[in-house]
Amino acid sequence: MKLLRKHKGQFLFGIEKREKDLLFQVLQLYPLVPPSRHQLSKTEEGPAHDENQRLLEESLAEQRRRNRRQVVAMLEEPGRFRETEHDFRLSLSAVQVEWLLQVFNDVRVGAWLALGEPEELQLPEITKTNAPYILAMEGAGYFESVLLDALGIRNPPGIEEE
Amino acid sequence: MAETATPQVVPDVEREEQSRPKSDLEPGWLVICWNDPVNLMTYVTHVFQVVFGWDRQKAEFHMIQVHKQGKSVLARTTMEKAEHYVHQLQKYTLHATMEREQ
Repeated sequence: MKLLRKHKGQFLFGIEKREKDLLFQVLQLYPLVPPSRHQLSKTEEGPAHDENQRLLEESLAEQRRRNRRQVVAMLEEPGRFRETEHDFRLSLSAVQVEWLLQVFNDVRVGAWLALGEPEELQLPEITKTNAPYILAMEGAGYFESVLLDALGIRNPPGIEEE
Repeated sequence: MAETATPQVVPDVEREEQSRPKSDLEPGWLVICWNDPVNLMTYVTHVFQVVFGWDRQKAEFHMIQVHKQGKSVLARTTMEKAEHYVHQLQKYTLHATMEREQ
């Protein structure tokens, strides 16, 4: 998947058939992070904190429902992926890029949690059970990278992803 | 990962001028982002820019701090604003919490 054109907050990507299939697989996993992951504080406790924690969980649950609806709408929208002779064209607004980043990172972090939170470059041996999570984590990371690159976000000189 | 010179950036101290209890308006809360090695560094930089409105240099400073030191204090602010920031950061699935300043 690569950026073909960026103009006035609209992004046009070229995406190959196998990438499109991967994109669908990754998006269909959303949401993947368990709600218990979201903690407001590591040290606070008591009724006031519990109430604030409840509000956080409600707010995030609503956000995830909204993102899920948008994901489903995007996957089902006729013409969203316009077929060309060699690949597909995917047009996204800046707002869509932003919520897709949230969605992809949820899948990436959720898959990472399911894999036992491995350190960088220490992925577990691939098995039948964990293969879908490894694919989801790497796939979501790939699409995130493409979107971030399209936004012009790159690491500073001397800093590389591990 | 190669070492780079990092600019000296300190967390913002924010002020509110609303009529709320004094304790709520005091910047006694820290918004902390913790390292999850799965997050792309460019993603973390982007989220900091979006949530806090920071320029690239400041966002990268805090991203590198998270990456190398395991956490970074992103803001020292009121309880209400700290809650807001944590909500925003967690929307992006970053591991962020608010802690009372000692």
